[in-house]
Amino acid sequence: MRDLPNERVFAGLRPIGGGEGVVAVERVGLTIATVLLRRGKLSELSAAVESNFNIALPVGAKWTAYNRVALLGTGPGKWLAISESNDPAFVRGLETQLQGRASVVEQSGGLGVLRLSGSALLDTLEKGVQIDLAPETFPAGSVAVTSIAHIGVTLWKVDDGPTVDIAVARSLAGSFQHWLEVSAAACGLSVRPQD
Amino acid sequence: MTDSRRLTSGGLINRSKVLSFSFDGKPLPGFAGDTLASALVANDVRLVGRSFKYHRRRGIFSAGPEEPNALVELRSGARREPNTKATTVELFDGLEAASQNRWPSLAFDVGAVNQIASPMLVAGFYYKTFMWPAAFWEKLYEPAIRRAAGLGRLSGEDDPDTYEKAYAFCDLLVIGAGPAGLAAALTAGRAGLRVIVAESDFALGGRLNSETHEIDSTPGAIWAYRAEEELAALPNVRIMRRTSVFGVYDGEYGAIERVADHLPVPPAFTPRQRLWKIVAREAILAAGAVERSIVFGGNDRPGVMLASSMRTYVNRFAAAPGRNVAVFTTSDDGWRTAFDLRNAGISVECVVDTRTSVAPQVAALAGNAAIFLGGRVTCARGGRALRSLDVLDAMGDRKTFAVDALAVAGGWNPDIALSTHLGSSPAWSEPKAAFLAGDLPDGMSIAGASAGHFTLAEALQDGTISGADAAVRAGCHPHGMTRYRTSGECFGVKAFWHVAESRGKAFVDLQNDVTDKDVALAAQEGFRSVEHLKRYTTLGMATDQGRTSNVSGLAIMAELTGRTIAETGTTRARPPHVPVSIGAFAGLHTGKHFKPTRLTAGHRWATSQGATFVEAGQWLRAQWFSRPRETDWLQSVTREVEMVRSAVGICDVSTLGKIAVIGPDVGTFLDRIYINTFSTLAVGKVRYGIMLREDGFVMDDGTTARLMVDHWVMSTTTANGGKVMQHLEFCHQVLWPELDVQMVSVTEQWSQYAVAGPRSRELLQHLLGDAADLSNEAFPYLACGEFLLGPIPLRLFRISFSGELAYEIAVPAGYGEALAHALMDAGQDFGVIPYGTEALSVLRIEKGHVAGNELNGHTVARDLGLGRMMSTKKDYIGRVMAARPALIDPQRPTLVGLKPVDPAARLRAGAHFIACGASPSPETDEGYVTSTAFSPSLGHWIGIGLLARGPERIGERIRAYDPVRSADVEVEIVAPVFVDPKGERLRA
Repeated sequence: MRDLPNERVFAGLRPIGGGEGVVAVERVGLTIATVLLRRGKLSELSAAVESNFNIALPVGAKWTAYNRVALLGTGPGKWLAISESNDPAFVRGLETQLQGRASVVEQSGGLGVLRLSGSALLDTLEKGVQIDLAPETFPAGSVAVTSIAHIGVTLWKVDDGPTVDIAVARSLAGSFQHWLEVSAAACGLSVRPQD
Repeated sequence: MTDSRRLTSGGLINRSKVLSFSFDGKPLPGFAGDTLASALVANDVRLVGRSFKYHRRRGIFSAGPEEPNALVELRSGARREPNTKATTVELFDGLEAASQNRWPSLAFDVGAVNQIASPMLVAGFYYKTFMWPAAFWEKLYEPAIRRAAGLGRLSGEDDPDTYEKAYAFCDLLVIGAGPAGLAAALTAGRAGLRVIVAESDFALGGRLNSETHEIDSTPGAIWAYRAEEELAALPNVRIMRRTSVFGVYDGEYGAIERVADHLPVPPAFTPRQRLWKIVAREAILAAGAVERSIVFGGNDRPGVMLASSMRTYVNRFAAAPGRNVAVFTTSDDGWRTAFDLRNAGISVECVVDTRTSVAPQVAALAGNAAIFLGGRVTCARGGRALRSLDVLDAMGDRKTFAVDALAVAGGWNPDIALSTHLGSSPAWSEPKAAFLAGDLPDGMSIAGASAGHFTLAEALQDGTISGADAAVRAGCHPHGMTRYRTSGECFGVKAFWHVAESRGKAFVDLQNDVTDKDVALAAQEGFRSVEHLKRYTTLGMATDQGRTSNVSGLAIMAELTGRTIAETGTTRARPPHVPVSIGAFAGLHTGKHFKPTRLTAGHRWATSQGATFVEAGQWLRAQWFSRPRETDWLQSVTREVEMVRSAVGICDVSTLGKIAVIGPDVGTFLDRIYINTFSTLAVGKVRYGIMLREDGFVMDDGTTARLMVDHWVMSTTTANGGKVMQHLEFCHQVLWPELDVQMVSVTEQWSQYAVAGPRSRELLQHLLGDAADLSNEAFPYLACGEFLLGPIPLRLFRISFSGELAYEIAVPAGYGEALAHALMDAGQDFGVIPYGTEALSVLRIEKGHVAGNELNGHTVARDLGLGRMMSTKKDYIGRVMAARPALIDPQRPTLVGLKPVDPAARLRAGAHFIACGASPSPETDEGYVTSTAFSPSLGHWIGIGLLARGPERIGERIRAYDPVRSADVEVEIVAPVFVDPKGERLRA
């Protein structure tokens, strides 16, 4: 049996307009899982996260990261765990590490993640994001589960450059791309491969 | 060639940049900085349109969004746009403008015959006239009214431009960038607040651009320019010009930005307009005030213009609205107009003030013009332009003046419409002779002329204080309170509405052609409330929202009914405050982007296989796969069904909802969700389940697999994935929070294909090799398991919707497309074909499985032949309500199979069951056909349906009556399983 190729979510994203007002990089090699708190196990989960990943479990819509693993608060008792290590065993490992304290469900195949930056990023995002992304209200480290052009997204501020990561469901990537291309074209959308 | 009325100097126009435009096909010059209206004034174009009802000649009446007369069509071709106020159109090179509501020409308009019939065309004319005979309504009256209605014409073509939406956030939204708004923005901006300044005009400054005032010894327009420079340099301030705030909502403001309306064609990637939702902690309404007219005979003649607008044309645009001008005023404002006109070299013939005395310094503004205190203008005459007017002096003598323009100053109405959008009513102020804002919406304050503080000094002070107050409330410290020195200003006014001695038609609402007589008629006929007055006469209901007319109309009503204006009250405004293109509300969601589209991971593969797609909610699903020489869908579908029944087919079922349900209490949880028991399901097994709504009706169905002791995966229908997820979350969070259950959608994570047909096992075994043993013993019907396909995890479920030996195979969606190819490759030797939703539907109808047509929200489990699944050993959602007498009535329509007595006859879903020989009526209706298909297995059409006492009536004949499609087919009632009723194939 030959190995099946893994299709990127945003393989179809193309540059549009002149300039680099918005720079988009699809983050590849991520392993992503939803982490769901088991009933009454918050302190045990915090301890397990701390001891296994050296990360303080974020409370609220925040993210924390250490050593290529990030945890994003996406709801009450709900996190997205992201490993940058291109490690297919990450989720199985997480299940074991958090056993009895959280349920872990892999989502790597269902989500595409774009890293967006550029001088016109906030001017572009305000054409779709209905929350205030200004540094004073949404500083680096913030997470939002929201929507853009009727498409559900999870977005988080990486730095106040600003750099924003946006996770989009695979099935909706085409519609999201349309929004991004139309909204960023005036200032120029540049698409780059991941370093 | 028209005469140029452009003044030789002055104005805020750029004389070095000449623009050319056309009006009714005639080329005309203008300058950058002009509006269409100012360029028309400068070119001495007096006649610009015909009125709505009487087709009277009309000229430019104002210089802003209050314009009732100068409505024009702009541009041509697909970009033709009707009913645009010439006073708000920024001139650009090549602009094509045309008058409207006239035929064959503006100068000679056949519709003007309406003026002869005008005694009939009063308020309420339609209601009274078109009552009889009733038969005339549809064929004669309505078409005639429709032909007469409306002003401009739509292009009839697709809009070539784009629109977008955007969202902004600020501490303070300043609505209007006149002196009050700019002072507020400067104060708040300097204090560090995030400020948005929204200004409708393309230039900031408001009336400062139209007046000769000075601030700190600097001309007002230059002060505004400097204020703008300072604001633009503040990183916390955003200036939005060409942006009108049109609506106030709860803490949010709607605004429309005319991004490219001032350009011939929007540049690449630029929308024409942008719709903003602005979320503001606070807002300052500094929208200024609108001058009102006076109701007198002939007050609609071209050349009659608001006095303040004349100052705008002279001071801002260096365009003279007339050669010999008269002023009719109730306030000092008219005298200021006389002064500015004289300064511009325009002859002022007379100033008529309804007041009997004015201050000497005010009277001095008139220069040598004849002055009539306590006077009135009773009649204005003219055709294409004003020729003369009659003045009735305080002694009762009449004098006639030959003038070509008349400035009318009836006092000022603060622009408070936005303050009423959330329901508060304005209150009449006798000292201000104006309605002032009542209770303001939360977070809104009001400053300057909007607040009834009409002088420049008041406006600046008001704005400064409002800005400082907002800063303090936001926790910032204003850097001192700037005090501005302004030039002196007189502002006396006395309310005066209506010249009783008028001769000729005296208009209250110019845009809707409502006269003083219409108001009197409304009073006479009992429509005395302002709301009734508005609706009976259409007063104030046009696109100018009655800015120049509402107050006059209700003041006349007050006079007629012996009430004060305060007692009479006023109407409230609704959004939008200015007209907004529907396209802006749609934004980029047009055409196929109307809503987001969801594509499965195998979409590209399906396309390559010749799929025709169908929308299923947001999803696109392959409906069938055409092959060469197949000429219609039924051929393709029939082939697909036959291949599934005889060999193997694969179908993308990724769109079905998939929910991971995890935790130690999932069994208990699912027992309460489903009507049947799940807690007993063994690991590695799948079970079909039905869930009910609380009211006992079926909500959804699907299978749930137990992959591990505490890890289950539920499948839902494509349509109900989101709804079921919501339902589960509700049940857990609200009803049973004590259960240790977690759930998350994994619809996106797994790409899933049905592999169905007698050779499906061979195909999968070939694909998986040693990775899985798919023998009946190792992996029987309703088994499930997790395997590896190389390094890739996969899930396998032995479930069947088709009734054949079948599986569903799932891989992480990144591999979904590759899996489809791999399945096709693996199935080459077994005759594999892809099949779509149509074949899927035929297969399930042949098998009698229910789907969306039967799970339609009107059916209970028993109706679907699934009553025996309802556990009697446990409680579950919907159990109690499902036992209501009406839901267990044996007469309820229940699932049956159908086949036509004539095998050649076609059955259609939606046909109703009527007993043979009975007359079709609601009383004889016994149910209906829910799903039909041509059955390749049987060679004729079959159906399933819901028939009263259905299962008892197998073997009977009944009619499937379909008057919509003129079909009446006799059918035999049969069991609803047409293929393999014993279920041997799926267990093979």
